[in-house]
Amino acid sequence: MAEKKHKKESKTTEKVSPKQIAERIGKTAESMVKQIDKQQDPEFTTMQRGKSNVVWDENKGYLALGEKEIKRTFLNIAHARKFMQTTLIMQKTQEYLSHNKTASIREIYYELKHTIKDTKENTFEGQDESDPIIVDLEHSVDTIREKLNLHANPKGTLYGNVTLLDRMHHNDKFNASKLGRGGWSIMSRVEPEEIELIDTDAEYLLVCETEAIFERLIEEGFPKPNKCLLIGTGGQAARGTRRLIHRIHHELDLPVYVFTDGDPYGWYIYSVIKQGSMALAAHSEFMSVPDAKYIGMTIDDVKNYGLENVTENMKEGDIKRAKEMMAYPWFQNKEWQDQLKKALTQKIRIEQQALANKKLDFVATHYLPEKIRNKEFLP
Amino acid sequence: MAEEKTKKETKPKKSDDEKADLIVKAAENLEKEFKEHSVAEFFKKNKQMLGLYGKVRTLTMIIHEYVSNSLDACEETGILPDIDVKIDELGDEYYEVTVKDNGPGISKDNVGKAFGKLLAGTKFHRLKQSRGQQGIGCSGCTMLSQMTTGKPSKIITGQHGKKPISLELTIDPSKNEPKIAEIKELEKEFRGTAVAAKFKGVLYRDSDQGALEYLRRTAIANPHAKISFRDPLGQKIIFNRTQTVLPELAEEIKPHPKGVTVDDVIYMGKKTGGRTTLSFLNNEFDRMGAKGLDEMKKIVDFDLGKDPKQLTWDDAEQIIKAFKKIDFIAPTTDSLRPIGERQIQGSLQSIVKPEFLTVMTRKPTVYAGGYPFQVEIAIAYGGGAGRKVGEETKMEIMRFANRVPLLFDQGNCALTKAIQSVDWKRYDIKDPENSPVTVFINFISVHIPYTGAGKQAIADEEEVLEEVRLALMQTGRKAGIYIAHRRRESENQQKRLMFYKYIPEICKALATITKENEDKMKKNMEQMVLAKLKIEDAKDAELKKQTEKTIANDENSFVMEEKPVKEKTKKEEKK
Repeated sequence: MAEKKHKKESKTTEKVSPKQIAERIGKTAESMVKQIDKQQDPEFTTMQRGKSNVVWDENKGYLALGEKEIKRTFLNIAHARKFMQTTLIMQKTQEYLSHNKTASIREIYYELKHTIKDTKENTFEGQDESDPIIVDLEHSVDTIREKLNLHANPKGTLYGNVTLLDRMHHNDKFNASKLGRGGWSIMSRVEPEEIELIDTDAEYLLVCETEAIFERLIEEGFPKPNKCLLIGTGGQAARGTRRLIHRIHHELDLPVYVFTDGDPYGWYIYSVIKQGSMALAAHSEFMSVPDAKYIGMTIDDVKNYGLENVTENMKEGDIKRAKEMMAYPWFQNKEWQDQLKKALTQKIRIEQQALANKKLDFVATHYLPEKIRNKEFLP
Repeated sequence: MAEEKTKKETKPKKSDDEKADLIVKAAENLEKEFKEHSVAEFFKKNKQMLGLYGKVRTLTMIIHEYVSNSLDACEETGILPDIDVKIDELGDEYYEVTVKDNGPGISKDNVGKAFGKLLAGTKFHRLKQSRGQQGIGCSGCTMLSQMTTGKPSKIITGQHGKKPISLELTIDPSKNEPKIAEIKELEKEFRGTAVAAKFKGVLYRDSDQGALEYLRRTAIANPHAKISFRDPLGQKIIFNRTQTVLPELAEEIKPHPKGVTVDDVIYMGKKTGGRTTLSFLNNEFDRMGAKGLDEMKKIVDFDLGKDPKQLTWDDAEQIIKAFKKIDFIAPTTDSLRPIGERQIQGSLQSIVKPEFLTVMTRKPTVYAGGYPFQVEIAIAYGGGAGRKVGEETKMEIMRFANRVPLLFDQGNCALTKAIQSVDWKRYDIKDPENSPVTVFINFISVHIPYTGAGKQAIADEEEVLEEVRLALMQTGRKAGIYIAHRRRESENQQKRLMFYKYIPEICKALATITKENEDKMKKNMEQMVLAKLKIEDAKDAELKKQTEKTIANDENSFVMEEKPVKEKTKKEEKK
């Protein structure tokens, strides 16, 4: 595949039009047709994903996809069904792109799902069958899902004094601090062609794991005097949210501080925002924020803030996760090894909302301002 | 055996004569008691023991008694049996059973004995392979009918060259004597016997243990019989005969010394014509010769010149002990009458209609040292084989003892245990419980080791288990070759279909993107699939050839509706 030779340059600046992506899909299809013409087994090439093809790029500070490719062929019992599914996804995304339509990954699943003639078999039995094929195609034509005009369900909220422009909706210009307490629902596609970041007076971006803390900080009027933007991820950050964090950091030049629960799950949310995930290692370069800093919660906070009474016990899953994380190359620094060790020896975890034990507004009046003033971060 | 021992230990001082006296007295008392008690009473009290529990089971038993009787009568007189069975529903748990045969018929004088005298006992103490009663006999049916309905059994019977008669029969329970009424001579021509009797408290079900299944299996094990059945709904089913040769009659044989009990020795001694114990032993036992008798003399401490009618319990015990010590040649086995491989093949093909069938009649062997037995096995696979449960097909186990279907107590039976002990995975039957398999086992012996009086399960005799297991493994191996062959074929077929079904989807998608010709693409892809499978087929071809050769060379294995294989088999037979 000639297309695969594209160098992965800074994706933030890469301008690929939907038409160009459609052409790439067209070329893949043409090469398959040529093979069929010669009665050769048609092939589809994509990047191998998963742990075995993920590398930790220490210089760049994020997880990247390795060089391993996989070939999917039709005349292979194990591949035949997936091969068929791949051609369907190719056809449908090409159609979206040439008609300037966008769809959610659930919608494309429903649009393509039907019973195969003379069988009791469906083209896709569930969305869990179509989702991985979409990622295969993203990698194969060297782009991101958003540029295939596909998007996942949106999740995550933005609040604060930042002006945005929605090019896809009457060029609406709006300020994320003027949309009520709920803020702006982050769309799953926040590419510059659609959402433009105009201006802000904020000095940093605070990313919170729980929507509850996000709401607490707004209620306490935290963002305005502290000159910050707030993003609530609602657990693991969605693609759109990660993309927006990446863009705010790069385009608005704001430092990113991450605030999660003090447990392996929360810490991993931070690491995905910072260094990318294994599942989407290929997209790290335009989603990750290697400069992000961790604000809390830490196991040290328990002692420092007298939260001994409000810790929770680690569950078996937490312990297993912590042990795995200790082995990850991107957790190989003194500070994080220290946190993980402490968590494992004390077998405790501490939630963000445990700070309410001091006082409801403690997080807004003391905890965060102090940490930021003293630059008390974990790398 | 344990009982005998206790007897000896608790009363060691009693003389032999005293003991014999006691036994005789006890027997007399029993007889008296038996006569005083009404037969009906005995019947009611012993219903369980007689196998009369369960409404469905009881009705199946009744059919068994009448049908066995008909089959026996026909075979003994050289007539190919034609048996008609009808069941009519008269009310709630109230049925009339009619069984008609084309047998020799019964004379006026003997009708009463055949249908109206309980425990008439002609078959007791006769060492001969026979169907045997399942507990109550035809007279038992007469008794059960009058007990539950108060009505007589109606019988029509005609003998060759005589006018047929019709009569109504009941049993006088206090005397255990038949009472015949309404006896009439009929003007029509009829040879055979027909009996119609009514029963309450029984139930007809079209189930694995119902009358229909009983008759189906009876037909399978008796390919020389034609059996028709009309169920209470009026549906008629005919099992045609697939053999026109009657089975050879079984001969009565002398018991083998290792196959008798103390009680048997005393009983036989009383009946023998021999004057001395020596001549009794010499004449009445299988494999008893001069050498055996010499050893006998050394072991027992009483004079073998003694009148065998005077043998005491102690004497008989000594004889049994001696029998155990002495090495006898294994018992004669030529008295056993298997159904035969061809016969089983014919009836299973006609009634079960499987895709594949393999049959084996093993050589006779011996269990517990003195009882000859023989095993016949068939494994049928695919097609009509297996037991249909809703949409699914499960393994079907057909057990027979001397051609009689055993429908009950399957779990307790040694034959079932032998099936369960076989590792069917080795024969490509991955999930035997849920496979379309019918396993046919006929256990043949003059003395069937039943687990209980219900006579529906065979006891776990070590040699029996091992022999059945071996036979199953031998036939299983043959079935496995075929099943593996079938599986490869269907896998290839499935593979082709698996690729084929996706082709239209793929071509449509690719044609939409590229605007290339969709039909041309389809054709190319289909050819591609065929070419690929051809290569794989070639790999299998050698194996396939071997399979076909194996099945064709084995005259007891049959693939239905595959002519080349069948023809080869026939050629083999001609040679």
